[in-house]
Amino acid sequence: MVDETRRKKRLDRSIKVRTEGLYAISSGAEMFYLILPRAALIVGLLALPLFLDMYWQKVLCAAGVYALLSLGFDFLAEYVGLVCLGGAFFIGTGGYISGLLNSYFGWSGLLCIPIATLGGAIFSTLVFIPALRLRGIYFAIISFMFPIFARDIITTLNIFGGTEGISALGTLPNVWTEIYLILLAVIIALFAIRRLVNEDIGLILRGIKDNDQAVKASGISITSYKIKAMFIASLLGSFGGAYLSHKYGWVGISLFAMDFSILPIAASVMGGMGSLAGPVLGAFALTPLSEALRGFGQLRVVIYCFILIGFIVYKPEGLLIYFQRKYHQFELWEKV
Amino acid sequence: MMPVLEAKDMMVFYENAIAINNVSLGCHRGRITGIFGANSAGKSTLMYTISGIILDVKKKEKMRGGERITVLGKLIYEGKNIIYMEPSMRAREGIILCPERRRIFNESSVMENLRIGGILATRDQAKKTLDRVFTMFPALKNLKRREGGFLSGGEQQMLAISRALMAQPKVLLLDEPLLGLSPAIEEVLTDAIVEINREMGITILISEQYARSILPIIHYGYVLENGGAVLEGNSQELMDNPDVKSAYFGI
Repeated sequence: MVDETRRKKRLDRSIKVRTEGLYAISSGAEMFYLILPRAALIVGLLALPLFLDMYWQKVLCAAGVYALLSLGFDFLAEYVGLVCLGGAFFIGTGGYISGLLNSYFGWSGLLCIPIATLGGAIFSTLVFIPALRLRGIYFAIISFMFPIFARDIITTLNIFGGTEGISALGTLPNVWTEIYLILLAVIIALFAIRRLVNEDIGLILRGIKDNDQAVKASGISITSYKIKAMFIASLLGSFGGAYLSHKYGWVGISLFAMDFSILPIAASVMGGMGSLAGPVLGAFALTPLSEALRGFGQLRVVIYCFILIGFIVYKPEGLLIYFQRKYHQFELWEKV
Repeated sequence: MMPVLEAKDMMVFYENAIAINNVSLGCHRGRITGIFGANSAGKSTLMYTISGIILDVKKKEKMRGGERITVLGKLIYEGKNIIYMEPSMRAREGIILCPERRRIFNESSVMENLRIGGILATRDQAKKTLDRVFTMFPALKNLKRREGGFLSGGEQQMLAISRALMAQPKVLLLDEPLLGLSPAIEEVLTDAIVEINREMGITILISEQYARSILPIIHYGYVLENGGAVLEGNSQELMDNPDVKSAYFGI
């Protein structure tokens, strides 16, 4: 029954209020308060591979790719209003461009990856431009079709190795380069996008999500901003794809697999939509989870679904937003 | 006489901010009760609380991890405390809200809108109310097949009131029925409100910031300010009050 005499009050911690603005640099405690969560994330991610064996290091690399995709998905969905289910398309284009460059010209992986990242992003953005005029569910459907479309073109025309794919690509020098390349990419992308959404361009993008007519009325071309946002998100995905192709030494149509489109959604829901760091952590939690559940065979999908349903029903705000609130605020009972 | 709908010490918090502060008010059977106040006075929150929509908003906010909404106090309707009753159940009991900004179904025709409103009514009741609505608002009669979204603001408001009437209300809650309408339409609507009250015998609770045309037709009214009821009285008393005069009539 509802207690009629008191209610729970939620207040910001005094240190949170003190750390807003310039006062943050007034004392060590305030600076520590600000730096702690960020440093914990960076140090945690960088130190993680040192404690893992070979197998889990591989899983960590895959999780990093999913983290980049989740970051891109969250950025597009929560800050631009484009629910993009075409993550696999970014991965595929990046992977194939890198693989083709490597196998035809024999360029090394470390050269191919940046070229493929940029090239894949430009190509994906060009392909997505006609769809950018759409919004909401229509955009989601179209973006979902792109990877399937690309996969079928490759198999039916039998280009780029067809169903076999292209194998024997150059791999990265050693396992530590592999791991730290992707981890650094995740960290840099995370902080860069965090910064970006707080700049002017982020303001406009959030405006487009909120009310695109009002943004148009302010004399801003929303399509050009959507293209820019799309380019940024596809950069992340293409990098992931190019990286994967050199990690496995192989590209094939499985780069267009639906997993790349779907897992980011799950990771975002779990980590907390719109928090950017949340989806990244969600991806780092979900990928190993689905690996660990591999022993259950088909049943792991069921367990996986239960976890997701549990999150949507009981913690729809997501883990990171919940912990963020606990970190910044406290609660007390107050007499009415 | 006991009021049919009575709020006792009602309080609503949006997180730490207080939106409704200890408001007590009563709505007598067959009367028009008015609630007046400027923006941010708490009129809409009060209507949401009485109609129960606030419970829905509360749940959604909770799911998002947003503001926590606390509702305290008593809302007594026909002798029962219904403050934690679901909005749909309240509608079944006869408390029908005609929401602010109309909220008609844009993609359904006028007739369909009315039929959705009349789902709780029996066939006879629906037919009778339909006739009544079309005599009260002849403008709607020619627009039966028009989609709701293509109606003008005034027609939409007429439709919204009609839709609420189709649900056979015992207490009709009108949230800012004159929002953004021309003086001519205002007159049509105030006449209709009086007619609904007088001829259909429906108790009406109306919230409005545009007091000039509503104040004369109410039987009893409350003035809200910053979430608290600062003034109450019958129509004449309120109109004679110097504060009300300066705030709402500019005299």
